[in-house]
Amino acid sequence: MNSSIPPSAAEYGGDEVSAIVLDPGYSTTRAGFAGEDTPKSLIPTSYGKYSVDGNEKLIFGDDVYVTPRPGLSVHNPMGRDGIVEDWDMAEKLWEYSFTSRLTGAKPGNPLQNGLNDISEGEMAAEMEGVESTEERPLADSPFLMSEPGWNPAKAREKTIEIAMEKWGTPAFYLARNGVLAAFAAGKASALVVDVGASNISVTPVHDGMILKRGVQHSPLGGDYISSQIRALFKSNSPQPITITPHYLISSKTAVEAGQPPQAKYRTFPPEKAPDASYRNLLEERTLSEFKECVVQVWPGPNKLSALGPNGIPNEEVARGTPGRPFEFPDGYNQVFGVDRYRVVESLFDAKAAIPDPESAFPAPTQAQTVPELIKNALNGVDVDIRPHLLANVVVTGASSLLYGFTDRLNQELMQTYPGPRVRISAPGNTAERRFGSWIGGSILASLGTFHQMWISKKEYDEHGPSIVEKRCK
Amino acid sequence: MAAADVRDMLDLPAEGQPRPHKKQKVVEKRPEGITRELFALLGERAPPIAISENRYKGRPKWMSKLRVRPWRMTPFSNSARSDGLILNHWQRQPEVSKAPALEGSAMEVDGPKEEESTPQALGQESLFAKYNIKARVPRRYTDEEYNRHLKNDDWSRAETDYLMDLVEEYDLRWVVIADRYDFQPQPVDAEANTGALVPAKRVRTMEQMKGRYYFVSASMLALEHPPSEMSEAEFDLHEKMMKFDADRERARKELAALQLNRTADEVREESILLEELKRITASEQEFINDRRELYTRLEVPVSVGNTTMYQSSQGLSQLLQTLLQADKTKKRRSILGAEAGAAASPASQTPTSNAPTNARDSRAGTPSTAAAAATGGAANGPTNKKAVAAAAAAAANKEAQQATKTLTAAEEARYGVQHHERLAPGVQFRSDRAQKLTQAKSNVQTQKLAGALAELEVPLRLVMPTERVCKGFEKLIHSVNLLLDARKVAEKVESEIRVLEAARDAREAKDKDKEKPVKTEQQDDQLPPESADTATAAGAAPTTTANGPTTTAGASAGGDKNTLGDGDSKAAEAPSTSQKRSASVLSNGSDKSSKRQRK
Repeated sequence: MNSSIPPSAAEYGGDEVSAIVLDPGYSTTRAGFAGEDTPKSLIPTSYGKYSVDGNEKLIFGDDVYVTPRPGLSVHNPMGRDGIVEDWDMAEKLWEYSFTSRLTGAKPGNPLQNGLNDISEGEMAAEMEGVESTEERPLADSPFLMSEPGWNPAKAREKTIEIAMEKWGTPAFYLARNGVLAAFAAGKASALVVDVGASNISVTPVHDGMILKRGVQHSPLGGDYISSQIRALFKSNSPQPITITPHYLISSKTAVEAGQPPQAKYRTFPPEKAPDASYRNLLEERTLSEFKECVVQVWPGPNKLSALGPNGIPNEEVARGTPGRPFEFPDGYNQVFGVDRYRVVESLFDAKAAIPDPESAFPAPTQAQTVPELIKNALNGVDVDIRPHLLANVVVTGASSLLYGFTDRLNQELMQTYPGPRVRISAPGNTAERRFGSWIGGSILASLGTFHQMWISKKEYDEHGPSIVEKRCK
Repeated sequence: MAAADVRDMLDLPAEGQPRPHKKQKVVEKRPEGITRELFALLGERAPPIAISENRYKGRPKWMSKLRVRPWRMTPFSNSARSDGLILNHWQRQPEVSKAPALEGSAMEVDGPKEEESTPQALGQESLFAKYNIKARVPRRYTDEEYNRHLKNDDWSRAETDYLMDLVEEYDLRWVVIADRYDFQPQPVDAEANTGALVPAKRVRTMEQMKGRYYFVSASMLALEHPPSEMSEAEFDLHEKMMKFDADRERARKELAALQLNRTADEVREESILLEELKRITASEQEFINDRRELYTRLEVPVSVGNTTMYQSSQGLSQLLQTLLQADKTKKRRSILGAEAGAAASPASQTPTSNAPTNARDSRAGTPSTAAAAATGGAANGPTNKKAVAAAAAAAANKEAQQATKTLTAAEEARYGVQHHERLAPGVQFRSDRAQKLTQAKSNVQTQKLAGALAELEVPLRLVMPTERVCKGFEKLIHSVNLLLDARKVAEKVESEIRVLEAARDAREAKDKDKEKPVKTEQQDDQLPPESADTATAAGAAPTTTANGPTTTAGASAGGDKNTLGDGDSKAAEAPSTSQKRSASVLSNGSDKSSKRQRK
């Protein structure tokens, strides 16, 4: 193919308008240009706050992890249910997400950027006449943002307000991330199971529109799994495990498996120590590593606590599988056997949750488990499209990358719905799973047919923020 | 000498088939960077490793001559939008460059300057606007129309409006409409409402919405064009919408839900049942195949009467051999048949001897028939003697086995018991026997027969070949045969008369000699026998038909045998009683007449 000939627009229906797509999540915020396959800018949604000489300073992006500054506290502008709580900070954070990597610093107005300065006092009079055009970060990019399916109308209006008035985008659209994930999987109708950091959500999508009555979500996301892992560590058999993040270790020596760690710790004097939330953030990093390396979902059939198909308890079978070793930052290492199944079993079987009275998460109810969510979601939609939805289950979200998750989900669905065909579509590519809804947004915003969907600045000025309810259905 | 010449000499068709192509030798191109000698060593097959040189592949030379066409950020607007939003996209500059005009405004979005530069872009941008399609919804009703035609107790005007809005908004996607449907009735008076409890929220089902919408839109369609003036498509639509049955739809959905929520056991059972069904249909196919095979075996090819092979003495002796062979097998079979008959005789023979009913007389005694048959067989050949003996033994046997159950004629008819005079070897279908009757000796006759049957609207192949039907059919065929023969004879005679009359007239006209009376006498002599023949032929038909009732009444089961027996006994003197005889007599008669004609 000759690269000098552009692909005809009719060929793929694309027509780039250099839109920016922002997909804010609880754990990370993704931003990038529409038409690309992965977001260029991926930053943690958490930001750091500390004060130097009485001035409050903020840290955005990956820099949060790097330096344990004195008094550094970590905050998240998003609530546990995926709805923005702190709008001021959310705005700043989102702005950072696309200005840091995408739009970049603009050459300022040549009248003001100092390059054309001439000697004092000569042109002062003329300067008065020029309207000081405040550079807006999104002045020339249409802007597509995603939101969870249960985002309240108020939050949506606030979002468009920020985008239009603060960032000055010429066109805006707010899309449900369930719909976007379905688009990323190439489907207009699908049952989207999004396993994120703070939430598991199940969104039925029909013809590119969510079915509100079917939208279900529960807080059993990646953070809940982390809390389960913490509970497991507390009750660990040779000795309880404490997670010491890397920044507290100055040196360590290798130890045998199960032996107490031999490490030299760094200590911070109380006035120099960062906030507890900082430590928590870094512990979460270790835990997500643990989730990636060790944690495994019991693939089924049947629950982990139940009998297998040939009468042997599943736990026995799980015990028979070889364990997986994990080394903590302080050098402590251990092989995890059946326990690695247990920490996620409660996503499917609420009774299997590891009890932990100190956890921030209350014990899950059966209604919060994934199969129940799917069941409820399907019961909320018309019976005619249920089989079609079951044949188009899209699994997305980074926590769905847990080893064996889709197998187990498939087993559970086949058990619950033995009649209709169940087909799970989960991309094998890690990036596609993690950025599913962003990719869908990237596809959507670069489509030629999408041009008519944008809410333009003019329309916003005419109707006010309530237009988002009317247009982004 | 060329191949063409050889073909010519041998009278072979020129170039019967194209000659196979010569295998083209594939000459592999020697890749660069390998010497010829080394390449020759590689042999025919390419080396498993591709030898390629990493080389920068530059642009082809012709491309450097092209002018660079720049890409520009071009503003455009989508005509599907009402607000004239202007977005920018990269577009390749057309050949005629108007870059200076656009350059200044390219990066800005809104502004007065844009308005002048966009129109050119607008002209070319309608690529995606064509996808902006809305579903066709009916015209909105006016107040008067609503009050006159669309009023409904269940649906208020406001709610109907709301529904119509939703339908339009979501382009008739009922799943979405039902999902988003959230009608808040406006409180009629705020005071009353605040005091009252929160009114129970009505949940509209999708069926209710559909029912209402279809009713409204069908009514609107009917208002626009009365049903009598509608086009076909419109009328169909109208009918469909008017016939929407919410209850049935709801019932269907309930069933669908049941189907969806089956347990694993039910699913398994269903799959087993389906499997069973599949097996049954498969074996049914097998059964049909078997039957077809049987049919093909039974359908003996109609022998084409070629007797030349029997005209030589060798052929004749061969025929004799085969006949003997057939006789031997027949003999063996008849022994077997006799033994079987001994076992089966009580059922077949007791009625005649045991019950002195009125049936007995008409049956004319089974033993005698059996004996007659036996004698007939004996007359056929000496080898049948054993059969006679066996028949006698059977006759003796039956005395001993009289005690077993006897069946009356009615019972026999009911149970379908039949007595056969002579069993043909092998299995055959009754319908085939009936079928054979329709095949006459000559093709012309067969066609005539078929024509007669067609006239009577009797199918050539019997639809339901029961015993009685077959018998009736047999009779019918016989009468048809008779009639046909009679007609043939009559025609012949008439034509003869005509010829002779013509001859006489000619002769009379030519010479009025004394020979004339002699001739007429001769003619008179000739005529009577023929007319007598026709008379017998005509008489044969009634007798056979008259014979029918007696046989059916007298021997419902063994009628075939009886008539045959009768035919045998009276064969010599009364040919009319036996249908076959009468037919043969007729044919004899026709032969005679034809001979006479030849004379």
